[in-house]
Amino acid sequence: MTKLETTLATLLADIGTFYEPKKWHFLTVNGIDLGEGKIELQWIFSKYGVKDEIVIYYALSDYETPVPSLVSLIPSAFMGEREIVDMFGLKVDGAERGLYLDEDSLQHPLRSES
Amino acid sequence: MKKTIQIPLGSQHISLLEPIRFKFECENEKIIGVDADVGFVHRGVELACTRSFEFKQVGYVVARVCGLCAITHSLSYTLAAEKLLGYEANDRIKYLRMLMVELDRIHSHMLCLAHTAENAGFEALFMQIMADRELVMDLQEAISGNRVQFDFIAIGGVNRDLTPELTALIHKNLTLLSEKIDALIGLFNNNWSLSLKYKGVGVLRLEDAYTYNALGPLARAAGLATDVRVETSDFPYEDIGYTMILESTGDIHARNFVRLREIVNSIAMCRNIADNLPAGEILEKTKGKPKGEAVVRVEAPRGELFYLVRGNGGNMLERVRIKTPTFSGIPAMMEVFKSSEYADAPAILASFDPCMSCTAK
Amino acid sequence: MKFFTSFRKKSPWILHYNAGSCNGCDIEILAALGPKFDLERFGVINTGNPKQSDIFLVTGPVTYRSRERLVELYSQIPEPKVVIAVGSCTTTGGVFRGMYNVEDGIDQYIPVDVYVPGCASTPQLIIDAIVKALEILENKSKEIEKPFKLFGSVETIGNKLSRLNMAKRVKHD
Repeated sequence: MTKLETTLATLLADIGTFYEPKKWHFLTVNGIDLGEGKIELQWIFSKYGVKDEIVIYYALSDYETPVPSLVSLIPSAFMGEREIVDMFGLKVDGAERGLYLDEDSLQHPLRSES
Repeated sequence: MKKTIQIPLGSQHISLLEPIRFKFECENEKIIGVDADVGFVHRGVELACTRSFEFKQVGYVVARVCGLCAITHSLSYTLAAEKLLGYEANDRIKYLRMLMVELDRIHSHMLCLAHTAENAGFEALFMQIMADRELVMDLQEAISGNRVQFDFIAIGGVNRDLTPELTALIHKNLTLLSEKIDALIGLFNNNWSLSLKYKGVGVLRLEDAYTYNALGPLARAAGLATDVRVETSDFPYEDIGYTMILESTGDIHARNFVRLREIVNSIAMCRNIADNLPAGEILEKTKGKPKGEAVVRVEAPRGELFYLVRGNGGNMLERVRIKTPTFSGIPAMMEVFKSSEYADAPAILASFDPCMSCTAK
Repeated sequence: MKFFTSFRKKSPWILHYNAGSCNGCDIEILAALGPKFDLERFGVINTGNPKQSDIFLVTGPVTYRSRERLVELYSQIPEPKVVIAVGSCTTTGGVFRGMYNVEDGIDQYIPVDVYVPGCASTPQLIIDAIVKALEILENKSKEIEKPFKLFGSVETIGNKLSRLNMAKRVKHD
């Protein structure tokens, strides 16, 4: 497992140079609430046909900063992005609420204060 | 005048085991757009794993995410927790865990084959496969004590051992089953009316499989060589005779065939495990509390299951992230629906083997 | 009329709805309908249409999004009807009790006639439940066919409905 740090501003450039569809399998987007309004976002990849090779890009952020969407690079990323929008109440370009919770729901269950 | 019509499927439908709602945008019989609502089964397991349950109980809670692949859920969580505790299981535990995972794969694949047959209109084939499937269910009940939700895996080992009578039963039932599977392979290959419903229907092309990150039997039927069993080193799958099954056409027939041939492979692996079970303890004591971050991937019957567990040295965990196979498979599934006929939609849906309770957690 | 009612008991059709269960009970219902346990020998057929069903098999601890569908399906089944709650989580919430998107059992929303324990309920238990449900269904049919007066002292429609548990007991929040 390799962890690489990135920032929200350089995320698209970093993943754009890193990701090749035939080499890397995109797993999911993950969020971890660190408390005090901080959140760690992770983009997880694994390599086809190679043992135990997982790459995690992570970036620190807060609830308010908009998160760039990866859909232009990885079309299947929209599921994971909609999930973090629902679960943490983040803003992701092009992803709406309503995957698991209601569209107008005020809940964000996985935030640490909720 | 509007050219297209909208046809809904679900959330309650005879062809669906679980609630999912599709909205198909149809042009005559052809589906040109699809929209899916998958959130009907959302319960909030991820939060409960960190707030309501201690880390030793979580393995039994995450098993209730999905009844079909319960064993892979508890296995992935247990592996992650064991990595955090710095414990490595001995060979006997590993082999017993692999045995149950492969038995689970056989019964899940057979259920999918049966369900696909029912949705394509072959009621008798459904009944036949369900009857054959009971051989595996009996085995699971004999080994673990329960038919579906067997809480077989615990942190530090497994809860039940294999006795010589059970080994004999495994051989007896699997011999019977492999005869039936051979007959089914012949049927699926040669039956003309099955080929009308299955061949060339619901095609996923290889490029789309790469683009949409397809996984599991869905990807292997399209020719994408990915299987977590060879991409992780947690279990010695090469030692017990694992071979990767690949098809190239990517239609329902290919997906059925990947499943059938994987069943044959799993039967061989189960036999090898039952014959060559190493000696050792089945449940060992573990010490300490989970601290740090661990990721685990396990091949569930539907594809890759991913767990990320983070602990802070206390009894409660900080984060349990569950990424289930169907969750990642949905973009590829929606792609397959486009350009196929509406009448084939239930059969195509069943051939993905979707698991909504996994998806929504 | 008697001719038709004698057939109803022998062929109750079931409607299955998953209100958020883990699939374990659902595949056991399928297994019970399969050849080994053969629920179909009681004349039971799994149907997808609520308007043709007599027995409502529900699994799962009613999630937030599925509760409207549950009540809607229940109200579409014609009288007499029997509701079976299959599985621990359907009866009490089970392991999901207290999770944020879960309503702790279906009897918060619709009246239940038979509770089936077990996680997951075995096919044997499901068969027992269906046999019990057949008994209840027959009693309910007999109750419905009893004559009553529209006006007068014997029994009014309102009394009859409340006696038969048919008045709307659905909770609105």
